[in-house]
Amino acid sequence: MFSRWNWVACAFYLVLSICSPDASSGLVQSCGHIIPESPVLALGSNFTALCILNESCLDFGNIYASQIIWKIKNRLVPKEQYREINRTVSSVTFNDTSSLATPLTCNILADGQIEQNIYGITVTVGLAPEKPKNLSCIVHQESRFTYAMTCTWNPGRHTFLDTQFRLRYRWPEQIFPDCIPKDVNNSCTIDDSQFFVNTEIWVEATNALGKAVSDPLVVDPIDIVKPLPPQNVSVTSGLLPTVLQLVWENWISDAVMTLKFNIRYRIVGDTNWMEVPPEDTASPRTSFSIQGLRPYTEYVFSIRCMKEDGVGYWSDWSEEKTGITIEDQPSKGPPIWRIIDTSQSPACWTVHLIWKALKPYEANGVILQYELTVRDKSSLSSPVKKYNVTSTNYTLQLREGTYEVTLIARNSVGPSPPSVLLIPASNSKAPVKNLRTLPKHDKLWVGWTAPNNYVLKYVIEWCLMSSSSDCIIEWQIVLGDVQGIDLKGIKPFKCYLITVYPLYADGQGSGQSVKAYLKQDLVTVDPSKTEYTLSSLTSDTLYTVRMMASTDNGSRTGPDFTFTTQKFGKGEIEAIVVPVCLAFLLIVLLGVLFCFNKRDLIKKHIWPIVPDPSKSNIAQWSPQVPAKHNISSKDQMYPEGSFTDVSVVEIEADDKKSFSEQDLKPFDLLKKEKSTSEGHSSGIGGSSCMSSPRQSVSDSDEGETTQNTSSTVQYSTVVLNGYRDQTPVQVFSRSESTQPLLDSEERSEDHAGGADSTPQRQQYFRQNGGQDETNTDRPCFERTKQITHANEGDLVGFVQLQISGQSSQPLGLGMEKNTQEAAVSNVLQTCTEGQTVRAETVEENPLSVDEMPKSYLPQTVRQGGYMPQ
Amino acid sequence: MAAAESPSAALRRRDLCSRGIRLAGKMRADVVDLLDAYVEQQGLDASASVAAVEGVPLAAVERWDEQTGTQRLLENLAAYRAFRALLAQMLEEQREQLGEADTGLGRALAAVLLQVSAFAYHLEELLRLESRGIPGEEGDEEEEEDGPPPPPRLSLFEQKLRGLGVLRELAQWAVRSVRDLRQLAKPSPATGAAPGLAESS
Repeated sequence: MFSRWNWVACAFYLVLSICSPDASSGLVQSCGHIIPESPVLALGSNFTALCILNESCLDFGNIYASQIIWKIKNRLVPKEQYREINRTVSSVTFNDTSSLATPLTCNILADGQIEQNIYGITVTVGLAPEKPKNLSCIVHQESRFTYAMTCTWNPGRHTFLDTQFRLRYRWPEQIFPDCIPKDVNNSCTIDDSQFFVNTEIWVEATNALGKAVSDPLVVDPIDIVKPLPPQNVSVTSGLLPTVLQLVWENWISDAVMTLKFNIRYRIVGDTNWMEVPPEDTASPRTSFSIQGLRPYTEYVFSIRCMKEDGVGYWSDWSEEKTGITIEDQPSKGPPIWRIIDTSQSPACWTVHLIWKALKPYEANGVILQYELTVRDKSSLSSPVKKYNVTSTNYTLQLREGTYEVTLIARNSVGPSPPSVLLIPASNSKAPVKNLRTLPKHDKLWVGWTAPNNYVLKYVIEWCLMSSSSDCIIEWQIVLGDVQGIDLKGIKPFKCYLITVYPLYADGQGSGQSVKAYLKQDLVTVDPSKTEYTLSSLTSDTLYTVRMMASTDNGSRTGPDFTFTTQKFGKGEIEAIVVPVCLAFLLIVLLGVLFCFNKRDLIKKHIWPIVPDPSKSNIAQWSPQVPAKHNISSKDQMYPEGSFTDVSVVEIEADDKKSFSEQDLKPFDLLKKEKSTSEGHSSGIGGSSCMSSPRQSVSDSDEGETTQNTSSTVQYSTVVLNGYRDQTPVQVFSRSESTQPLLDSEERSEDHAGGADSTPQRQQYFRQNGGQDETNTDRPCFERTKQITHANEGDLVGFVQLQISGQSSQPLGLGMEKNTQEAAVSNVLQTCTEGQTVRAETVEENPLSVDEMPKSYLPQTVRQGGYMPQ
Repeated sequence: MAAAESPSAALRRRDLCSRGIRLAGKMRADVVDLLDAYVEQQGLDASASVAAVEGVPLAAVERWDEQTGTQRLLENLAAYRAFRALLAQMLEEQREQLGEADTGLGRALAAVLLQVSAFAYHLEELLRLESRGIPGEEGDEEEEEDGPPPPPRLSLFEQKLRGLGVLRELAQWAVRSVRDLRQLAKPSPATGAAPGLAESS
């Protein structure tokens, strides 16, 4: 007993000690503590902690070090790692601190079971900083006078601890303030670095586990400067057309450092830089003249600098500046050729002189005009004719003869060397031999063998042979030592006529022609075969095929055969049509599925529900449908024999939702009544507000309301009559009303003034409620309420009513006489929504199933038969 | 003693000299820039004549050609130590007058001060290479004690004028120092410097 109290006291003490935020200063002391307190440990090292119990705690109970258990977070430390040092001290040892986590707690098992925490410590595990490596520094010139030294280093492995890096630097006799990195651990920038003194720079990394110092870097900051590039670079044209002068400002004073430079330049539009030889710019300067440039050419220049002795870093390249060299005389005359038209008469030539504009590097400026000189060599007396032309062709009318045409291009500086074309009377000289062509990718190579005589130049003419248009001649002049050129701009699968003329010093050779294709398939087919498949044709293209049969003695071609390839290849149409059809089918399928899912909605919208008398299931009210529900409390309240032949209509006005559920009951009851009575039908269901008896039942069963039947339909009320053993009187009441079935719900006020329904309703309520003569104009809900209230009180009245109805001249019959056509149906039509109908009937002789009519076909209404309400 | 100078010491000496020459050159350029800024900032007349600054040996010296290497170094060291103290004092006064707002002039002054310190270090190193004892800092301190006492008595205008004088003298000394170090860097005087050192001692 004592021991138990002792333990309770101890536990209480322990709880207090745990709850106390500051045990040492508070009223309650902790029962123990751990040494060391919140250590920072090197990852992978071993660690021993001691939990020391307070002597004072021992007094409360048998708390000894042997009861101590250690936990990491909520995980128990294996007991093998414990050691009981003495009665109050237990130690725990971890061979590898990587298994540690926070908190490490010392706990005690009180009473052998209750675990109490004594103390806990936070354990931080990390690594000592590594020695920073690869320390390097660079001095960036930031403005004319400011230089910032940025040093970077490799901080080493991650330490998992808060590690501070500091960059330290000093002169032999002066230590500067440390540079402490911001947001990073591998670089720091010293804003003001001083030159010409060796500076010792090193990095220190410090954390709770130690400090590491990098190797020192001893450097004079002037030797690691990256200067700003030269500023205000400008380019000026010199007096010479091949020279441009570059002028700039250095942003570093000579007192700090002298500079050398790199200058690069390129023609505008070209991507390749050229560089001024570095030795030419290896000394301090602020300008340089670049020579050997092309006249009238725009160049881009940029320049960079570094310390003259090459120690340090190159600056960035300066901004690019452009300059244009001045114009020079055209370096050569334009190539010139002629086309002689002798169609008018052989003796009178129309000579079309054509020449090519000089290329920019030949023109050396803007060509202002061409000077054309025509000398008739056949008669020395005829004057030299001169023409100034600005276009690149000129047409002359000349007599047949030998002419020398000289062409000079002139720019603002001067004329070009003359180009001379000799037009002989006849091309009597030797032509080229062995003219041939060879397609080379997108070029067509034309080769020839030179004639024996010395040829000055060759003229190569070519034109696209076309039936639709004239051959537009293109031409090119090459020097006499050339025996083949590549023609560019040749279209594939087109026939070109190529002619080569040799030009001699004293005349011109006749042209040799050849037809050629850049691309054509010349296929040699084995003579034994009589078919061949052409491949790699392009679509929707007209092709010509020519067959040539060759023997050793020669060849002969057949007629040309043309065909056009189809726009779509084999399978392409299928590839288009099939996915389209599949997509269409998929859409249709989805549409059908959608319609199927929403069929009710669609059906309601398209085909309003029209009552189908043939499917009416008023029969379900009959006894053939078994009762599904227990008899309601009303049945119990009015046990069998209390009164007979009472139909009770209990209508409660409530919110719409409640009706759906409550409606089930009366209809179930109705069914039950039908199944057990001898045809005593309340008749209520049969003349419900629904469009048909079937509807009224089924909808009630499903707890739904039929609201959308707004079409004009005829509806009928079929009432089974018959009492007990009497032959059931079948009443078929047919309404000729064309009123929309649920109009009453939608426009109840209309009914109030309606000629058909109002009087019947009045009568109905008069019969059932017996009191409700003044409320005809009230909404249905109110009236039903009153009926409900009146139900029990007026039971007698009901009994009387029923009895009289059964006998000779019932009130109901009177009503029926007057208003039988629509009375019940209209009443219920008005009240379906929002009424609780409860029919209670006590039957003594239930009507058998066989006796119940199953048809709604018009039946004879017998006088005196029971008319349901 | 000259024979005792090892090749590495000679190399070191040359390096110190060339570096010192460039430092003096930069110092001269910076001081000239600083003078313009100082005159403008302090509202002084650039042509104002200023009395010689106390505690600073005059840069102009008679028989400069006849000076020994050690003499040159010692005179330079004395001058630059004085400049260091004076510039530090100017910087302090500058901060007192203008607070930290005028960082431009203050920064330039601090930069020149650092260069003066660095140059003094160069001179000390050269003296060490000459195997000469360096005048103790206490002597420097004495100078400082001799020099600085007047400041409290100077008016603000006098302070400005004195600052102008210090910078002008420093500009001149920078020129002289370049010449001194060039003289020291010459290969032939190295042998001649040794007896000179002996004489001076």
